[in-house]
Amino acid sequence: MNDRIKRIYSPMTESGFYILFCLKTPKHGYAISQLVKKMTAGSVTIGAGTMYGTLSKMEKDGLIKFCGEKENRKLYQITDTGHEVLSNEISRIERLYKNSKGEDLDA
Amino acid sequence: MHKTLIRIFTIADYEDEEIWLRKQHMSGWKLIKITPPCLYTFESCEPQDVIYRLDYKNRKQSSEYIQMAKDFGWEYLDQCFGGWLYFRKENSTDKTDKNKELFSDNTSKIEFANHIIKGRLIPVGILFLISMILSIPISSLTDFSGGIEYKGLGLFGTILLGIGVLVNTWLTTYCTIKLKKIKDKYKK
Repeated sequence: MNDRIKRIYSPMTESGFYILFCLKTPKHGYAISQLVKKMTAGSVTIGAGTMYGTLSKMEKDGLIKFCGEKENRKLYQITDTGHEVLSNEISRIERLYKNSKGEDLDA
Repeated sequence: MHKTLIRIFTIADYEDEEIWLRKQHMSGWKLIKITPPCLYTFESCEPQDVIYRLDYKNRKQSSEYIQMAKDFGWEYLDQCFGGWLYFRKENSTDKTDKNKELFSDNTSKIEFANHIIKGRLIPVGILFLISMILSIPISSLTDFSGGIEYKGLGLFGTILLGIGVLVNTWLTTYCTIKLKKIKDKYKK
C-alpha cells in the first residue's frame, strides 16, 4: 500500500468504511446500501451519488475490483490492497474504542 | 397544460435550482423539459412534494449510474447543458427514510462542489482569460496595419467587449465565492 492510498483512506469516511467492508463478498451498489441500512438499523444511509462516486474512486485506487455484471448492475469485490486498508482502519477504530473505555493499548 | 419559464442558474446555483423545481412541483407544475441555456418547460399536474436533485458529470453518463440511481428510487429526467443530470423522487412521509440525497455525507457534498470547480469553473475561467488576452490587440485603437487606416472595434465594439468582460468577470467571481460558501457550509 503506497503513501497516497494511506493518506486518502486513513481515516475513512463512515460511508467509505461500510462500502469497503460490505465488499468482502461481491455486491452491486444498491445491495451495499441495503445491507448497511440493515447492519446499522438505519443510522447510516448512503445516497446514490455518494455510492457511485465512492465505488468509482475505490476501483481507480485498486481497493476494489469489478467482478461481474448482473442485470446491468456492476458487481464489485475487495482486493488485497482493499483488505489491507480495511484492516488498518479496523485497528484504528479498535484503538479509539479501547481508549474511549479508559483502557490502554497492550504494549 | 404547459408553461415555459426563463430562469438563469449559474453552475454554482444547483441547490437553489433544486429548491425552485421542488416548489414548482408543489404548486402543480412538473418539469418535463429543459432547453439550454435557460428555458424550463413544465406540465400541470397534481401538486405533490417531489424532491429534485442535480448531479454533474463531464462525460456522457453511463447506464450504470442511471441504473443505480433508479435502484435508489430516483427518476432520471435527462442530462443536459454541459453535463447536468436531473433526478427526482417523491418525498416520503416516512421520517425514517433518509434517502433524500444523492450525496449523503459532507465529504461527498464537498467533493461534488470541487468536481464543478475543476470540471467547469476553472476551464471556463481559463477560456475567458485567453479570449480576453486575444481581444486586447483587436480592441486597441492603435493602428497595427501599417499604411491602411484601422480603427479597431470602434466605439460600439469596444463598449460591447467591455460589457462582455464585466459580465464574465462578475460571473466568474460570483461562482467562485458561492461554491466556496457551499464547501464551507459542509466543512465541520
